[in-house]
Amino acid sequence: MMSSGSFSLRTRPVAGLALGWLLLLLIVGLLAPWLPLSPTTPDLLLVAAPPATGSGHYLGTDALGRDVLAGLVAGAQRLVLLTLPAVALATLLGTLAGAAAGFWGNQRLRLPIAAGGWVLVAAWWGLRLPGTAFLCILLGIATALTLLTWRVARHPAARRRYTCALPLDSLVLGIITLLGSVPRLLLLVALAAGPPLTTGQLLALLTLLAWPETARLVRGQMHWVRAQPFIEAAQASGLPMSRIWWRHALPHACRPLLAFGPLSLAGLVGLESSLAFLGIGQGPDVVSWGSQLASVRHDTTAWWAAVFPGLALLLTLLALQKLAVLASPATNK
Amino acid sequence: MNYFWLGSLLTLLVSACSAPPAKQASSPITIRWSRDPSTLDPLALPNPSAIDAANLLHMALLATDFQANKYAPALAQTLPQVRVLADSLTALDYELRQAATWDDGRPVLATDVDFTLKLLHCPGLPNEGNRAQYGFIREVRLDPVNPRRFTLVCRGRGEEIMIASGDFPILPESALDPAHTLRYLPLAKLQAWPAARPPAPAVAALVQRYRQANLAREPSHLPGCGPYRLTAWDTNHQLRFRRKAHWWADKVQSAPPVLQARPQELVFAVLPDDDATALALRRHEIDVYPQVPARIFQQLQASPKARAEFAFYSQPSYDILTAGFNTRRPILRDKRVRQALSCLFDPAGLSTATQLGQGRRTVGLLPPGSPFYNDSLSLPSLAPDRAMTLLRQAGWQRRADGHWWQPGATHPLALSVRYRTEETTFATTALQFQAAAARIGITVTLLPAESSALTTALQAGDFDVYVRLLKGSPLGFNFATFLHSSTIGNGNLTGFSTPLTDHLLLAIPAEGDARRKRLLLRRLQVVLRDEMPLLPLFYLPTRLVVNRQLQHVVPSGLKPGYALTALSWSDAATPLANSQ
Repeated sequence: MMSSGSFSLRTRPVAGLALGWLLLLLIVGLLAPWLPLSPTTPDLLLVAAPPATGSGHYLGTDALGRDVLAGLVAGAQRLVLLTLPAVALATLLGTLAGAAAGFWGNQRLRLPIAAGGWVLVAAWWGLRLPGTAFLCILLGIATALTLLTWRVARHPAARRRYTCALPLDSLVLGIITLLGSVPRLLLLVALAAGPPLTTGQLLALLTLLAWPETARLVRGQMHWVRAQPFIEAAQASGLPMSRIWWRHALPHACRPLLAFGPLSLAGLVGLESSLAFLGIGQGPDVVSWGSQLASVRHDTTAWWAAVFPGLALLLTLLALQKLAVLASPATNK
Repeated sequence: MNYFWLGSLLTLLVSACSAPPAKQASSPITIRWSRDPSTLDPLALPNPSAIDAANLLHMALLATDFQANKYAPALAQTLPQVRVLADSLTALDYELRQAATWDDGRPVLATDVDFTLKLLHCPGLPNEGNRAQYGFIREVRLDPVNPRRFTLVCRGRGEEIMIASGDFPILPESALDPAHTLRYLPLAKLQAWPAARPPAPAVAALVQRYRQANLAREPSHLPGCGPYRLTAWDTNHQLRFRRKAHWWADKVQSAPPVLQARPQELVFAVLPDDDATALALRRHEIDVYPQVPARIFQQLQASPKARAEFAFYSQPSYDILTAGFNTRRPILRDKRVRQALSCLFDPAGLSTATQLGQGRRTVGLLPPGSPFYNDSLSLPSLAPDRAMTLLRQAGWQRRADGHWWQPGATHPLALSVRYRTEETTFATTALQFQAAAARIGITVTLLPAESSALTTALQAGDFDVYVRLLKGSPLGFNFATFLHSSTIGNGNLTGFSTPLTDHLLLAIPAEGDARRKRLLLRRLQVVLRDEMPLLPLFYLPTRLVVNRQLQHVVPSGLKPGYALTALSWSDAATPLANSQ
């Protein structure tokens, strides 16, 4: 990304600052466990203490007596340990789903009819119906039938008779539409309501909500890639479809992700902060920029408890925006 | 067009800067409640909001006179005459007021008191707390000549007996038991009714009628003798009470303070968040803000505009911030573990952080100024080293990983703390405990919850440690409701009880001799300190902010912190000129 084009920090100081800020966040986030700062320990003698008063709390304390600087570091750590992995997972999931849907459409991917047995077994398992032994037998039969019909279906004459088309495009598009029909924040609030979530559960939730955007983008790009002459040439040369998809189509379909990744990250940072601000799905001992912003409600005069995390959030979002601009093909021409 | 915008802007500015409108005498008084009452069933009042509401709808024999800070006769004509029947039995002679009537015009009679007491002990009704609280009343003797006279025969002696004997809302017999079926069932028989035995047919029918009345949501289904009726209930938002046009106490000449009901309409706004409440107060959306946190109180007092618009009151209260330990949990059964954990709270620091140092630290469940306060005990304080010593004595060992393990255990010592989410006092306390525990290798998980969810979790025993307020009173020492074995799972959330504490808890209110009562109370404080089912951290001051246009404000250290029905709007058109 940075090697392409004529990008230089000297010619673009704002971009340099943005990258520097993101790098700083990354380093602070990774080093946070070793820094001598505790974001949840209250200083009972210095509640809502203003910054730079020689109390040892350089950015002051909030209404509960927690150090604001320690909270900023904890927020950076959360960004590195939660939001970044969530974006990575969502990008991976969205890319695979969108690329597969865009490439194979509704008719091109054919599966042995017996594979339906797998669906039934999965449904049985999902519903947690009784009978583990029975489940194992069913699983065995479904596997055997699938393998058998797979072999039979390799013969062109039997292909139509023993296989059925998997409407992959409709399936992916349906899930994307379903998840997109409810505003992301509302959906997240609904899913996260109840007892505080673990970091893993929150990661899964953020991933679940973030992948459709990537999938939609990659699917659209894949439609364009699929119509390119080199794909037709590869098909004409007799290459297997899976290989064409993986080796030739997918790299081209993924190119917009370089610019979309930072934007996706910015969206998730905002979403996670909104959730933390609302105090949903997270315990009070989990400190992030959003929860720090919320703490100002306990003492509206403690402006520093909101300004510093607010600034950190704003700078991060602007830096990611800048990074997206830098990574876009138009900028690198 | 420009003039239009300029005019609009000026109008907005003028309206924003103008003084709040003067209130009429009939204007509603809006009061902040931190939570919805959840239920208005007079037998099950789970929170202070429900108790406040019940006091408007119903009346008890006695009520709190906030001016004198003592109990005064309400439905009763006078305080009861006390007669000692035997060594452990006291007779309290009551007479009801002649003027007292129900909403339907029927007089309030001794039979209604008899019926109510029986209702408090009927199996199948939500009266578990009442059973423990009023179990000392053994018999109701009706006067054969005067239908308004009766005698309560009580177990024990002392002022608490007298106070507690008149501290429950009286309910109409004719509405719930028109056939008077309960009259033939002695009170003692209901009190001794085994839990496993099915109720008597008359009781079963009454319970069914009571449940069908759905008093929890529809209090209007039951005639009351209180001054107000509920006119609207928007759950978790607002409750409206309208004064009855013809309330029986209006006929009482020179009505005492407990029979005064000045506001024509009372509106209770449910606002769980304190900062939102402060904002609502500044915008004159509420007129009375009780139980104001220290920080908001200080901020409001520092504002000249707020000082001009509101009056501020602060005085010691009887609310204690406590940490309770669930003694039903295996790891908390050993009192040394509870003692160790209590050493991880920092009452002095917490008082400084949350009450600006105005919290009164205490050794037990009695306020420091009380003559029964056991000053031979030391004040609890943060002592992590002592906590570690006690844990070792209890058989816990600190391993190389820094955590505490018991031989053969699969998990290290770890705890969860439940508390109410809306107040910073609880959150700060929980965070301080968590930090202190983390320093000696104990993992603490914080589980804040909304009020009703917290109550449900605590009653279900789903906690290790809780942080909450206990509402106390200087007028009596009835701790049985939250410490006696008969109230485990209901008022007694810690699940703690021993034969000794049960004996003390029943003996204290029954004791008439002040010297012996003092000995019993001091003994109870020693036992509770040793057993440590709960740790009283400090007494909170009560702070009240009211609209200056309100008069007859009677602040009090007793809940709810002021005399609600004494309030009225000032007739003065320019009340803000009188600001201090």
